[in-house]
Amino acid sequence: MDNIYRPQKKIDYSSYLYILPAFIFYILFVLFPLGDTFITSFTEWNGISEKKWVGLEQYSKNLSNKKIISSIKHSFVLIIFYSFLPIIIGLLIAGIMIRVKIHGMATYRAILFLPQILSMIVVGISWRWIYAPKGPLNSGLDFIGLEEVSRAWLGSFDYALPSVGFIGTWVMFGFTMILFIAGVQKIPTELYDAAKVDGAGAIAEFFNVTLPSLKGEIIVALIFTVTLALRNFDLIYITTGGGPGTSTMIPSMFIYKKAFQMNQVGSASSLGIMLTLLIFTLVSLILFIFREKK
Amino acid sequence: MKKIFLLISTILLVSFGSKGETLRILAESGDEATIAAAASQFEAANPGVIIETNFLGWDDFMATIKLKMADNNPPDLAHGNQGFTVDGTLIQSGLVIPLDKYADQYGWKKLFARGALAEFLWSDDGNTWGSGNLYGISPVAEDVIVYYNKEKLKSLGLSVPSKFSEFEKALRVSKDAGELPIALGGADGWPIIHVWGLVEGAFVDPNQTRRWIFDAKNVKFDTPNRIKAATKLADMAKAGYFGSDSLGIGYDDANAMFIDGEGVFNLTGTWMTADFNSGMGDNVGAFAMPRWNGGVAGGGSFALPWHISSKSSNPDLAAKFLAHLMSNEFVDDLMRVGRVAAQAPTIAPTSNLQVEVIAASNALVGANAKTFYTDWATPGMYDTVTQELQKVIGGAASAQDFIDAMAAESLN
Repeated sequence: MDNIYRPQKKIDYSSYLYILPAFIFYILFVLFPLGDTFITSFTEWNGISEKKWVGLEQYSKNLSNKKIISSIKHSFVLIIFYSFLPIIIGLLIAGIMIRVKIHGMATYRAILFLPQILSMIVVGISWRWIYAPKGPLNSGLDFIGLEEVSRAWLGSFDYALPSVGFIGTWVMFGFTMILFIAGVQKIPTELYDAAKVDGAGAIAEFFNVTLPSLKGEIIVALIFTVTLALRNFDLIYITTGGGPGTSTMIPSMFIYKKAFQMNQVGSASSLGIMLTLLIFTLVSLILFIFREKK
Repeated sequence: MKKIFLLISTILLVSFGSKGETLRILAESGDEATIAAAASQFEAANPGVIIETNFLGWDDFMATIKLKMADNNPPDLAHGNQGFTVDGTLIQSGLVIPLDKYADQYGWKKLFARGALAEFLWSDDGNTWGSGNLYGISPVAEDVIVYYNKEKLKSLGLSVPSKFSEFEKALRVSKDAGELPIALGGADGWPIIHVWGLVEGAFVDPNQTRRWIFDAKNVKFDTPNRIKAATKLADMAKAGYFGSDSLGIGYDDANAMFIDGEGVFNLTGTWMTADFNSGMGDNVGAFAMPRWNGGVAGGGSFALPWHISSKSSNPDLAAKFLAHLMSNEFVDDLMRVGRVAAQAPTIAPTSNLQVEVIAASNALVGANAKTFYTDWATPGMYDTVTQELQKVIGGAASAQDFIDAMAAESLN
């Protein structure tokens, strides 16, 4: 009996059995397709024929394709809308909540979080209606006398990208808000009391106490939202399809079009790998910038 | 446990027991009513045959059809799509069989004028299009024509144009009277292909356009006449004939607008006939687009081609079903479900609109003036042409930019 209390030197391999089912799924549906995509990215393949090995040709073709380069630029614009704006708005709301106690906050919080739980398809279709030439947004603008501002938002070469981006802001700020509110609640109240004693106003309190304490949450929010901005597909597909022209084209739309419309699975795979590397690099960069300094 | 065993054995029995006489069909959902009608007639006429049908919407269908045909257990009969992207790939990979044997047996080639079936002809290696063996057939014609609001045209003091310049004048008069000249759902991109097809047809010889589509790499795109057509389209956009919001309006919304009385003209395909007819009654008419010097031209083709899988265990049965679709007896059924049959119908048209649509369609066939669809030309053409046309309509690119981008894509 006493061996129960003895510290075990051997690893209990039976515990790995518990993760085995999930691990098999992971191999089958994540690692295997990823490896397959990687191999396919060095080939020319129409989806059903024999794969033809072409080395790095697909990659060099992608890099010299102006439309692909401009689609990556669009993704960076979307990062502002999907990531930076929601984080700023989320921080602002969290900051206000510390100072002002609002009655029925739980309800407001639920309402503000709602966009986050809606399917992107539902969001896309709803906003397409809102942005329509005769939709509620333009009707509202006309009503308050801003006829000159109203336009076909998603059909405009200048406004389509920011219009789609704004939908992303609307979807993501609920997520950052909840994340930051949760973070704020674990900040010891002593810190705020100390700040008050030192004579800090609301703004000084926000920058000296709230913001530094939320560093962990901000990193999580950044990684999550930047990743989403870069790999986003459904919202663009539903609202503009990359148009008008190529003004809202993003890499993931190219991947879809190449793989399913143009029979260029090899090229689509190489673009997929490039997008993965780009996301990986950006996430590493975020972690590097915000690393703990000793 | 017993119940489960019973259930499983029943399913197995049903699925394997009837295998020999089952015909599996995969179709694009636009043909759902057609296939439902044909399947029940065919089952009644051929006791013991069971027809299993599956339908997929356009995007899903086009994204998966090649994989489904490459499957080990593909449908016996399925739609493809004209061009190298789908049909060419299916033939190159040996996934579908030539239908010449059946065409001779059932007399399909005699139904149409010489050369009319060129869009279904391929070399056996799938690399040459427009000549060779018959890969695919369809009983349905789809033409891009001009629908118009009769009341509006009359109140503007206009009549059906017989030359393109008269059509332009009608647009100008409509615009000056504060009407939207053309209802266009440009947000979806592809509806502009139909507009371009009509303007191109007005200036470019249809034979030249078809030759380019079959062999884009080797046939010049940037001819003087085509540059003239592109300039005309850009001018039409600049003049505001498509309204200021057309790139923010989807195809369905544009058609709903037209039905609700917004827009004098609507340049679209005959597949909309049934919808316009039920929405507008006798207030809608149709004509084939007149060319600059008279005569007609326009986009259009047969509907999606039917293919028989090379792995089908019973290709003769599949061909027999196709023969039913292509038969003279089925023409009237096609009309009843609102499709325009490629063969002349035997029953009287059911509406005034149908009379005019059939007249327009016959005029196009008679003049051998159908120019297919621009996006058939290369696998990447759909993207290029929709994007570049949106730019032209939105004033973000000139006619020359459009011509240059298209000529470059032609070489891919």
